[in-house]
Amino acid sequence: MTPPEATDTAPFDVREFARTAQASHRAEVDQAAIASSGLGDDVVHLIRVLRDLERATLNRMRNLLVTATHKDARVTAFLTTWAFEKFWIADALDAVLEAVDADPAPLSGPLRRTGAERAERRGPILRAIAGNIAGTQLVAAHMTTGLVDEWISQVAYRRLGSAASVLSGLADRLVGLKDRHVTFLAEEAERRLAQSARAVKLARKAIGQAAWPIGAVEIPAADRSFFESFVFGDAEGRAAAARIGERLAALPGLGAASGATVTARLVP
Amino acid sequence: MAFDIDKYTANSDAVAWGDLDFDTFDTDPLPPESLRTLRYMCDIEYHTVCYLRDLLTTPSHKEPEVGAFMTMWNREEFWHGEALAAVLAKHGITVDFDQLKATRLKLGWKDRLDPIKQSVMGGLVGNDFVAVHMAWGAANEWSANAAYLRMAELEGHPVLAELLKRIARQETRHVAFYASQARDRLKDSKKAQKLARFALSRFWGPVGSGVQDDAEVTHVMNHLFGGAEGRKLVRDVDSHIAKLPGLEGLTIVEDSLEKRGVAAA
Repeated sequence: MTPPEATDTAPFDVREFARTAQASHRAEVDQAAIASSGLGDDVVHLIRVLRDLERATLNRMRNLLVTATHKDARVTAFLTTWAFEKFWIADALDAVLEAVDADPAPLSGPLRRTGAERAERRGPILRAIAGNIAGTQLVAAHMTTGLVDEWISQVAYRRLGSAASVLSGLADRLVGLKDRHVTFLAEEAERRLAQSARAVKLARKAIGQAAWPIGAVEIPAADRSFFESFVFGDAEGRAAAARIGERLAALPGLGAASGATVTARLVP
Repeated sequence: MAFDIDKYTANSDAVAWGDLDFDTFDTDPLPPESLRTLRYMCDIEYHTVCYLRDLLTTPSHKEPEVGAFMTMWNREEFWHGEALAAVLAKHGITVDFDQLKATRLKLGWKDRLDPIKQSVMGGLVGNDFVAVHMAWGAANEWSANAAYLRMAELEGHPVLAELLKRIARQETRHVAFYASQARDRLKDSKKAQKLARFALSRFWGPVGSGVQDDAEVTHVMNHLFGGAEGRKLVRDVDSHIAKLPGLEGLTIVEDSLEKRGVAAA
């Protein structure tokens, strides 16, 4: 698969991506091996958070589609396949949970409510109204926040793989799937941000309002805190968060302040 | 009749046409009126994501079964668009993402307000609104299924017929989902029945009306459902819709033909 840095060569082939979409991973999930090696409580907890995040993809779809983003047929072709792949990622994580007889229910509990994340909790009506005001350049903001989200998930899956060696093959596989998502989103974000000052302004605003990972506002507060400390809490995690901030800062027009905002929100 | 969502998701796949000999279109091309209809169908399939948007403004997608279906259905419809675009490409007609974008941009304010309207309705009416969406979806899928099978029969082109039958087979599964959802939700709520009856009889139009130019809609209706044979198929679709709880006696598809002056004989 194309490494994320190689975005300035051939443009991402959305049709090829659609054609080669990955469905069920169950054949690759060795439930017997997972059952016999067992999984630590933290690993199970992380998997449940990741599973709930992947499964919330349609929420994200809705938030994008009620704005001008739904008009761009190339973007919607990508999103159609991306949602399909994420459905099967959630299913793979369910297969892992089944192997160790973990509680399959979605996580529940009180949510974290902070003023900075108010915009993230908006329902479809306010989003559609805000989207109409923002107009077509909002697509750039969606591509940028989507890109950051994919970077975060890649870090999380790598940490999952190193925390449980029996899952390292699956984790590598999922990171690889997300390489393609990263490639598309990076290319779109770079192109759109480079073309329009308004796109940059909207992307900065979206970064300022974001809760990470995307969909986190629906994850119970205790589970969000767990996720942040497990994935970004130690030295290695802090370095990964800093790297995400740097990569974001390197996008056209965004700058160090936007990068620092993201890094600060990731590290507990 | 329960819909088996696990079986559906496990078997959901992009419609295949690699094994079909599309080169036969070089020697045996489709006539212009058929290409016009196919172009319409192709656009509509690609625009499914716009309809998905309306569904997503209701709380229904949080139900795992509905969310799973929507994910697969949206992708299958996208691939119907790709398959039909491949047929059109053999006739020198290019359907690219930029053109589809242009169609969507042309929709203007109506399209921009739709998600707001849908969300407000969903908020006011609550869960019963989901029943309306499901009944609406069933009506759309039944008519799409009839349209593909009719097109296959009218054209009598063996390669096209096989492709359209494959597409129609997937539409049959979509029908099964929407109809079983609509049936379950309508039978439990008189309010949902009244609302669905009102919405379908007042606002339903052939799939694609509102997105495509009226002249195109009328062309497709005449082409596929004109004459006695076409009318019979449409009555068949209506009879399925009328079997849903609370929708007895509705003839929305036939009414839409009448409104467009499509001849019954």
